[in-house]
Amino acid sequence: MSPAVAASQTRAGLRRLRIPAAVWVAPLWVFLLVFIVYPLFRLFIDALQTEEGAFTLSHVISFAGDAFYRKALVHSLAVSVGTVAGTAILGFLAAFVLVRYEFPGRPVFSYLTIIPIITPPLVGIMGLVFVLGRAGTVNVLLQDYLGLAKPVNFIYGWHGVLLAMILHYFPLITLNVVDGLSKVDASLEEAAESVGSRGLRRTLDITLPLVMPGFISGATLVFILSFADFATPLVVGVQDLIASQAYLNIVQFIDRRLFRMGITIGALMAVLAVVFLLVARHLVSGRDYAVLSYRAVERRPAPGVWRMLIPAYFTVLLTLAFLPYFGVTMAAFGRAWSLTPIPTRFTLDHLNTVLHLTPVYVVNSLWFSGLAVLIILTVGVPIGWVLARTTLPGRGLLDALVVLVLALPGTALGIAYIRAFHGPLPVVGLTLTRIWVIMPLVLAVRRMPYTVRATFASLLGLHRSMEESAASVGASGLRTFFDISLPLMWRGVLAGALFSLLFALQEAAATIFLFLPGWETMTVGIFTFYTSGTIGQAAALGFVLILLCAGTLYALYRLTGARMGGLFGSGGG
Amino acid sequence: MDVRLTDVVKRFKGVQALDGVSVHVAEGEFFTLLGPSGCGKTSTLRVIAGFYDPDEGTVHFGDTLMLGVPPAERGIGIVFQNYALWPHMTVHENVAYGLKIQHVAPVDIGRRVAASLRQVGLEGLEGRAPGQLSGGQQQRVAVARALVLNPRVLLLDEPLSNLDAKVRARLRSEIRRLQQELRITTIYVTHDQEEALVLSDRIAVMDAGRIQQVGPPGELYERPASLFVADFIGTNNFLSGTVVDASAGYAIIRTPSGDIRGTGRGEIRPGTRATTAVRPENVELFDGSESPPAGGSALQNHLRGRVVLFQFMGSVLRYEVEIAGNAVMKIDIHDPKRHRPLAPGTEVVLGFAANAAAVYSADPSRTDRPGAAGA
Repeated sequence: MSPAVAASQTRAGLRRLRIPAAVWVAPLWVFLLVFIVYPLFRLFIDALQTEEGAFTLSHVISFAGDAFYRKALVHSLAVSVGTVAGTAILGFLAAFVLVRYEFPGRPVFSYLTIIPIITPPLVGIMGLVFVLGRAGTVNVLLQDYLGLAKPVNFIYGWHGVLLAMILHYFPLITLNVVDGLSKVDASLEEAAESVGSRGLRRTLDITLPLVMPGFISGATLVFILSFADFATPLVVGVQDLIASQAYLNIVQFIDRRLFRMGITIGALMAVLAVVFLLVARHLVSGRDYAVLSYRAVERRPAPGVWRMLIPAYFTVLLTLAFLPYFGVTMAAFGRAWSLTPIPTRFTLDHLNTVLHLTPVYVVNSLWFSGLAVLIILTVGVPIGWVLARTTLPGRGLLDALVVLVLALPGTALGIAYIRAFHGPLPVVGLTLTRIWVIMPLVLAVRRMPYTVRATFASLLGLHRSMEESAASVGASGLRTFFDISLPLMWRGVLAGALFSLLFALQEAAATIFLFLPGWETMTVGIFTFYTSGTIGQAAALGFVLILLCAGTLYALYRLTGARMGGLFGSGGG
Repeated sequence: MDVRLTDVVKRFKGVQALDGVSVHVAEGEFFTLLGPSGCGKTSTLRVIAGFYDPDEGTVHFGDTLMLGVPPAERGIGIVFQNYALWPHMTVHENVAYGLKIQHVAPVDIGRRVAASLRQVGLEGLEGRAPGQLSGGQQQRVAVARALVLNPRVLLLDEPLSNLDAKVRARLRSEIRRLQQELRITTIYVTHDQEEALVLSDRIAVMDAGRIQQVGPPGELYERPASLFVADFIGTNNFLSGTVVDASAGYAIIRTPSGDIRGTGRGEIRPGTRATTAVRPENVELFDGSESPPAGGSALQNHLRGRVVLFQFMGSVLRYEVEIAGNAVMKIDIHDPKRHRPLAPGTEVVLGFAANAAAVYSADPSRTDRPGAAGA
């Protein structure tokens, strides 16, 4: 036997020693069972058990029987509907003109429109308070120059919550609709035109229905996110929302009954998120119009007066959306800012405090988020691979879990973790809520779907025949992966990982429930500083967070161009 | 309704897409715009449809000037390459949409949609979504949608290019049959010369934004006016060389493969470069070991060569024969049953008549086009 033949036989032998997929998939399932399924299971058990462990519906009944909670639920739904309506109008308009018309400043507006999502709504509302609050810039100007006796209430209350959320979330709609619109083939509209359907009629009959699936998946996300947000309303003093009640009931440690109610509300929020998701899926089902676009609709110069009106629209919209940045920056650098439109003296003290004296917030955020991304890459990329490339049993369930996590309110997950991990884990005996690892873990679980989806999408785009032809010339499975698959998909995976990082940095729900002294992240710091009145440091942390998120977004933008819409879908997208 | 384009020029961002296109499509004619991608055929169709306004020139439907008239008011029906069915509407809704826009009474809509679907053989599929139909069925819906408004002109933009061969052939016949029944003026765009030859009353071959030749299929095939058309329509063997003698439509070209006697197309002057084109079916093949062929006297050209490839193509046999000058000639045998196959390597003699060898003056601007490769 010649050495070459022997060698090739050895190689063939090594190839046969492959670990069966079912074996290496097992750790993925263990991870998901322990960190998603089990905590949720505990959440529901707790919501349906007495202190003694007997089954009961009493928590649910006392929730349903309490007029205050019923009202809070209605308010929460109203805020969500309002946010979706507001973001739909602003976002649709922005997307439509960005895709279809050429006008002065379009590329700049197109880029700036994405920016508002980089700040957590918590920072957004804080910035808005600096500008629009009782003693904020606008009220000071109104009182000093227009002689108003009392400050105008721009922000405290429902309207403030809605304003902050709409300004924060409209880019989600814009991204999804831009994505949908750019996929509409020009001939579909020309066919309509040739039978006499023009202008608004054509837009309503043909174009809008075609972008509906993308819109619905973006709108679902906006609905669920605004429904689950408790920090934003609390900043402007709105407490009678379901998410805020969950938070307030959990963080008080006096009344066991209220604590139980918090858990019940957390479970209810998880159920509702799933219901919203299912409704959205139902709306989208059978409407996947992802036909191959041969020819995109050509961008036309904006006609007549629109040439000026469109930039004006963006200027107003973006000015409002960027107000929080202005406010946060002023407060971060202002010394004893009060009763003047902008600070009279500036200082680096606040920044110095959060970066040098007590850098724990920034360090923790980076450290936990970084670890979370590592966990996400380790677990999420293989999950994406399993979904795209294997026919293993349980794929449907795996996919459902990923979507579930995307929709699951951070509040619910935080409460679930508190309940699931406050005692020693079986077998390993660790009490996770007392170990800092729980912070990166909860971040990883919560933000994993972005990376899974990005991996899945990259693999779908990478035709299998490319891998097969590598195998046909003798490359082993691992060799094929590193030589062929990885070079073609790393951009997509990295983009997903950056999204995961971006949103891990922004997380201000689950972590607020789970942090112990010493584990505070930037968002936790902002929330506790702000609610305890240490405004300068809250703003300084906000400022640093904005910079970090902007850097991440810039890296993303360079990687993917402007085509980020697909990653934000919750339903069919 | 006849359609007349006069000196139409269309530029896109400085690029001349249409460079003075003039055609006259007669009432009830099946007229095809044929050419390679980027030749301007689709732009021409879109000018006729009204999606583009020409930068120069005019478009008339009958005696009416169509400049600035929107597509819907031109009385056209369009079928797009990718069908362009609205995916969120059923088959019925797709066909009915234009009628609804025109406020046709609901009773009449039902009747007309049904009639239109019957015309294309799609009864019973009214409730389906386009995504549930095969490619061929989708294209039929597109045709029904284009015809339901009783257009005066039917425009089809590569309607069959996304279908597989069998469906394409069947739909091709049906489109022709429908057109004959309705006697509707039809303008058809394709890059597929076979499709164009089979379907059309007349064909306009386009290249580089210009019409190269217009004529019935037989004329284009038998008497291509230029090397480009000779190359684009059917298969040709090209041999290039220098004209050594030319008189009264008769020319002799000295090529690396030998002297070729041919028939001049256009003005051929001695001493200039020229290319001759010979169709594979016009070449006769003789076993080289036999004595010079009996019927050889009618064949003014004889070339020695060696068989390099033999292909069985069903009703036709094709040989590729290497001749002097490093050229390869294709020869088609149309009665395989009466032919004894020659193995590769066999020495052969090729014979063809002077009137089967069309001689074109080599256009200096396009020497890189056909001929050079001997194909």
